[in-house]
Amino acid sequence: MELRYFIIRRLLLLIPTLLGLVLLVFFLLRMFPDTYLVARFVNPKSPVPISVQYANAKAALGLNYPIFIQYFFYLKALFTGQWGTMSTSIYTGSVLKGIELYFPATIQLALFATILSIVIAIPLGTYIGARPNSVADQTGRVFSLAFYAMPVFLLGLLLQLLFGQNVIAGNPLGVLPIAGKFSFNAVGAIPPPWFDPSTGLTGPTHLPLFDALIHGDWKLAYSSFIYLILPVVTLTLSLLAAILRFIRAGMVDASNQEYVKTARSKGVPESLVIKRHVRKNALIPTVTVLGLLFAGLLGGVVVVETVFNYYGMGILALNAVINVAIYGVLGTTFVFGVTLMAANLIVDIAYAFIDPRIRY
Amino acid sequence: MVEEQQEEIKTKNNGEEYLRVENLVTRFFTSKGIVKALDGVTLAVKKGEIFGLVGESGCGKSVTATSIMDLIPDPPGRIISGSIYIDNYNILNDLPKLARINVKSETDVRVKRNKRLIKRHNFVISKIRGRKIAMIFQEPSLALNPVISIGKQISENILLHNRVEIANSIIRRESLTQEDVRNFYNEIRDTKGDFRPLVNKWTRQYAVPVAEDEIVNILKSGADSALTLKELTEVIMGKKRGNELTHITTMRDYYKREEELFELTLKLVEAESKNEVNNAAVLEQQIEYLSYSLKKDFSSFIWKRRLLGKRFEVVFEEEARRRGIELLTLVNIAEPGRVYDAYPHELSGGMQQRAMIAMAIASNPMMLIADEPTTALDVTTQAQILDLIRDLNKVTGTSVLFITHDLAVIAEMCERLGVMYAGNLVEEGPASELFNNPLHPYTTGLLSSIPRADVKSRNEIKLESIPGSVPNLISPPTGCRFHPRCKFKMDICAEKKPALVEVQKNHKVACFLYSKEVVN
Repeated sequence: MELRYFIIRRLLLLIPTLLGLVLLVFFLLRMFPDTYLVARFVNPKSPVPISVQYANAKAALGLNYPIFIQYFFYLKALFTGQWGTMSTSIYTGSVLKGIELYFPATIQLALFATILSIVIAIPLGTYIGARPNSVADQTGRVFSLAFYAMPVFLLGLLLQLLFGQNVIAGNPLGVLPIAGKFSFNAVGAIPPPWFDPSTGLTGPTHLPLFDALIHGDWKLAYSSFIYLILPVVTLTLSLLAAILRFIRAGMVDASNQEYVKTARSKGVPESLVIKRHVRKNALIPTVTVLGLLFAGLLGGVVVVETVFNYYGMGILALNAVINVAIYGVLGTTFVFGVTLMAANLIVDIAYAFIDPRIRY
Repeated sequence: MVEEQQEEIKTKNNGEEYLRVENLVTRFFTSKGIVKALDGVTLAVKKGEIFGLVGESGCGKSVTATSIMDLIPDPPGRIISGSIYIDNYNILNDLPKLARINVKSETDVRVKRNKRLIKRHNFVISKIRGRKIAMIFQEPSLALNPVISIGKQISENILLHNRVEIANSIIRRESLTQEDVRNFYNEIRDTKGDFRPLVNKWTRQYAVPVAEDEIVNILKSGADSALTLKELTEVIMGKKRGNELTHITTMRDYYKREEELFELTLKLVEAESKNEVNNAAVLEQQIEYLSYSLKKDFSSFIWKRRLLGKRFEVVFEEEARRRGIELLTLVNIAEPGRVYDAYPHELSGGMQQRAMIAMAIASNPMMLIADEPTTALDVTTQAQILDLIRDLNKVTGTSVLFITHDLAVIAEMCERLGVMYAGNLVEEGPASELFNNPLHPYTTGLLSSIPRADVKSRNEIKLESIPGSVPNLISPPTGCRFHPRCKFKMDICAEKKPALVEVQKNHKVACFLYSKEVVN
């Protein structure tokens, strides 16, 4: 079928796009002077002369080759799975392993926020959009504009103030933990074999909630769930606000179209007019912007991870940048890029399903 | 044959009115002021006739049509007063109770709506739209929902209004016996000439899915009667779906009760409007009891329907499809099966308008409002669509309210004609009479502004135009709304409003040149 070819074509298009992404990040990183890049590998207290250390580190990082040759070396490494090593304050070791450890937390936050926002936004947007200028609509508009305009970190901090445990003394609402992935009290004196105390990570998915559920540890599962609430709510509110605005605008726009009048003239009851005729059309523009919103969401996740100390790939990437771990930066950027493109592909396919006018 | 049918319908109906609009007043409350769009429109469309409505743009033709369908967008618009009788039922019975309008000033109007009654009103009107009266629009590409297939849009109409009937035919189909098929075959053998109508009727009655061609082919090829009968029985029995009859019976009973609820609500609204307090109280109780028992007796049904959604109604869809394809054939669409599954953007403008017509007539309404249905089409397609509407009117006896600004189209299509100006009907009568003997100065002006090839050579004739333009309806002229543009203006014209009076046989006009009667 046509859709299959569309997907294949889009997947093939991923290749040049990703090559371009790597090219861009690679050359931007190489804008640093060589001394800066190798500084971390030079130890002034070592008996080896600094110039020798410098030369060795340069050779080890492959900086002696012309820059485009280095690019192809890196590409080869990328495709053979040798993504290099990184040394940062939170993680030291192979980049691939680091991504494996921290990426699940990021994708978990992003997915929970996306699913929750969509599940809430569609019925809420339908309700509001079907009653433009009503009290419900005005309230919804005020809130969605406020959350849409507010930076994610501010929203996160405000939620921490309002609901955070031990943030404001005597706050009856302050019941939710504000930092971390779970309480270490929930782990117990003798940690289970699937828990690594040195990194604070669990196996095999590295997501405490799912790992605890897999191993039937209800206490840890509950704790992980409680710790997930604030970061997910923060992300959800900001994404929900944006989606709600688009659905509402789409609903109002679609309600004024001629085909809605046609539907009523056939005798379709009002509730079905909204559900069948208006909403279906209102979702089309919403789906279009969903891809863009997801890109914004990934940015938001990095911020939220930092605000809530929820260790994920955002924090990993941030630390890689701070510590000039070039392979760490390249690897995490590459994975973020792939994630974003996958999300966009899904959005495009969904779009083709919703709107029959799309030719692919 | 068509003409015979037409005559038959004509004599049967004998000038009975299907649609009667009386003193319809519709206004739009905008931030710039109140637009007095309709100012007491009165018109009637008889059964089986095509009634044309003409006038300049902005004179209220479309608002009249939209008001008759009760589709005036609220806010900003509202029907203020008047009555609209469709098949002898006034759809505006409960109008005064629906909303209280408090006019503080031209730009500050507060409307207090009674939500409960509006909900009831919408329930009643949604059962009248589609099955008693339907509408087709000017721009078919905009009037069809772009994301729903043509077939779904047609079957939506069928499923909204014919569920009980379809359920009955499915039950009949599932309990078909060989005996029934034999009787059918005998009946066909006895008919002389074309047996296709009989096959159509029979497949409809028994909801036999898409099998007409198959059946006709068997009947045509069959030389040996015993063999044909055997083949026929096989095909027809093969169309049984093995649906659970209890399930379908429950569905039918549920929808039947829903229809009863509608009938009762209709009566209640009527009783309330006539101030029959006791009668209304009884009806109200009956409705309450019926809706309560509906919820109670069919609670598992309602839950199943809610959970399964569309899949629950799959049984009906096959028959809806059969009927949909039948309708598409009726409006002369080639390859109706393909078009049924197509989306609106895949069709040309003319095809879209045909599909639109098929959708409108899906539940056999006896009144069709056509709001400039050919304006957006090219000339050759225009002619085909006009022919189609005329044929439908002849074959099914559907009355048509035809709205256009194109006088040539009106002359070709309509038996009677109404001329509108600035929210009023100014002249009404048989089309030929109006064309040959226009009375109202506006009609005269309108007619002399069309070029006519047959009267004089082009050099001799100068096209006349009516000076000025349609007035702003926020502050319309006092008295007769046409007087500022009228050549025969008198003193009374600016003060009083002329009533629509029959001044010649079947020929009504609202002008002080002919009658001094005044609207009070």
